[in-house]
Amino acid sequence: MKDRWPLFWLALHRRRRMLGALLLGMVAFEALIVVVAGALAPGDLFSSGGKGPPSAYQAFSGSSGNVSIASYPGLLGAGLTHPFWIAMQLTAIGSLAAAAVAADVESGTVELVMVRPVSRSRLLAERTAALLAVVLALNAAATVTVAAGVALSPGIHRAVPLSGVFAAGFMGIGFALCMIGPAMAVSAAGRRRSQVIGATIAIAAVGFAVNFIALAWTPAAPLRFLSPFHYYTPGDALAEGGVLWPQFGILAGVGLLGLLLAHVLLRRRDLAP
Amino acid sequence: MDDVPAIEVTGLTKRYEDVTGVDGLSLTVRTGEVFGFLGPNGAGKTTTLRCLTGLLRPTEGRVRVLGLDPLGEHLRLAPRIGYLPGELRLYPELSGAETLDLLAALQGAPVPRRAELCDRLGLTAPILARPVSGYSRGMKQKLGLVQALQHDPRLVVLDEPTEGLDPLVQETFFALLGEAAAGGRTVLLSSHILPEVQRTCGRVAIVRDGRLVTVESVAGLREARARRIRLTFDDGQGRRPLGAAERWAPQWQDDRVDLLVPPSEVVGALRGLLALRVADVTVEEAGLDEAFLDLYRDGGPEEEA
Repeated sequence: MKDRWPLFWLALHRRRRMLGALLLGMVAFEALIVVVAGALAPGDLFSSGGKGPPSAYQAFSGSSGNVSIASYPGLLGAGLTHPFWIAMQLTAIGSLAAAAVAADVESGTVELVMVRPVSRSRLLAERTAALLAVVLALNAAATVTVAAGVALSPGIHRAVPLSGVFAAGFMGIGFALCMIGPAMAVSAAGRRRSQVIGATIAIAAVGFAVNFIALAWTPAAPLRFLSPFHYYTPGDALAEGGVLWPQFGILAGVGLLGLLLAHVLLRRRDLAP
Repeated sequence: MDDVPAIEVTGLTKRYEDVTGVDGLSLTVRTGEVFGFLGPNGAGKTTTLRCLTGLLRPTEGRVRVLGLDPLGEHLRLAPRIGYLPGELRLYPELSGAETLDLLAALQGAPVPRRAELCDRLGLTAPILARPVSGYSRGMKQKLGLVQALQHDPRLVVLDEPTEGLDPLVQETFFALLGEAAAGGRTVLLSSHILPEVQRTCGRVAIVRDGRLVTVESVAGLREARARRIRLTFDDGQGRRPLGAAERWAPQWQDDRVDLLVPPSEVVGALRGLLALRVADVTVEEAGLDEAFLDLYRDGGPEEEA
């Protein structure tokens, strides 16, 4: 274990096998998406009835604008909002956020750690840093895989600039931040790992459902502003070739607010099994 | 600095929602003392220790450890403390050596005693190379003792330290405690095992239901609380009436009976008992366990003297 940032390294060391599997899974999945996108003619999708896909399908293409799933940016965006992609992100976030505080309290190891000259802020900072490192790696793996696929597919490359791929990857980090903040807040106040994992999954699932319903049903349209998937729009980033900074700012802002709340909650709580 | 008590607790109360773990506990541990903290499971010992180490936030009361607030001045206090939790939980994926390295890194201080402690407690290099998930309870406890003592802390807080240790290792542990005391270290030893407290501690606090029952020297406690009078009859009749001495709750075994009698009443009790046809009589100082039970029978908590 490293002498500097031991809690950071410990978090990564304990989850190293799971993280390796997630990275491989992410690369394989995004490679498959690129291959599938290259094999399809997106314009022909949903064209048999003479109409395009329903507007709610934008939820699956990672767009809150006009990017249809029946387009290359829409298809690649679908790979970055697919339930498999979400599940891998949430597995990493839920697992490491749970391990940040709640799992140590549940298992009793928090006693050994926190009787040492370790401030609660430091515990949170090192564990958050480990989580950030993991989501950076995961999103980098997805981004590089998609970028490689786009670079090797002239048809896709004409519709999707590489800058859009990297912008979409950056938006993925924003989404992860948005999940990390609340997950860390639950961990900072919780006593069980299952509370954190459950809350993380619930936030994402409810968020996705709210966004889909808001796109499908006009009276519910205002609810879309409550969903992280309204702001996490890799399809739009892929089409526009740049980061959507206001959306990214909202995602990152929610994450930072969650971390601030985690800090407050951790300072006030008891740390014993 | 030595004028400052190692531990000073005043009116400590810790409530968990509707359960009171510790209720108005006050005690002082002097620097350089080996102090016992005695009580059955659930008496509030571990809660008190967790308040002393800054893991728990007291609901009421004031806690000072080495003159510092365990919560507000945690970063100044923690380097001077060694702590062994009552239920030692380790990261199962780490080896023994990795565990000690991790905890030393978190301590942020040299660990001058690690090699010596591992050697004395029989934690060899091959054992330390194995994941702790494969350790027996005794081996985990040895690792716990090393991590608590390896940085040579000024105050050692031990919660049920001999749990799982075999008798030989217990001897090493008692020797380590003796050396710590001789070196001017303060030791707070929480236990429900009376002989180990009797053997190692100068003074002892007894707690019950989160409240302090008494704080006394071990010798004083044994002297003040009771004498054991043992009468042996040789007529084979077994249990029989003992007259006024029945109030001392006689414990019969065949023709032999033990009574725990307060020191001031021993002579009077003997006058009455020797009127019986007794074959043998002995009077001895009761052990700490008898004094402890005697105190628990007495009931109500007392304030610290």
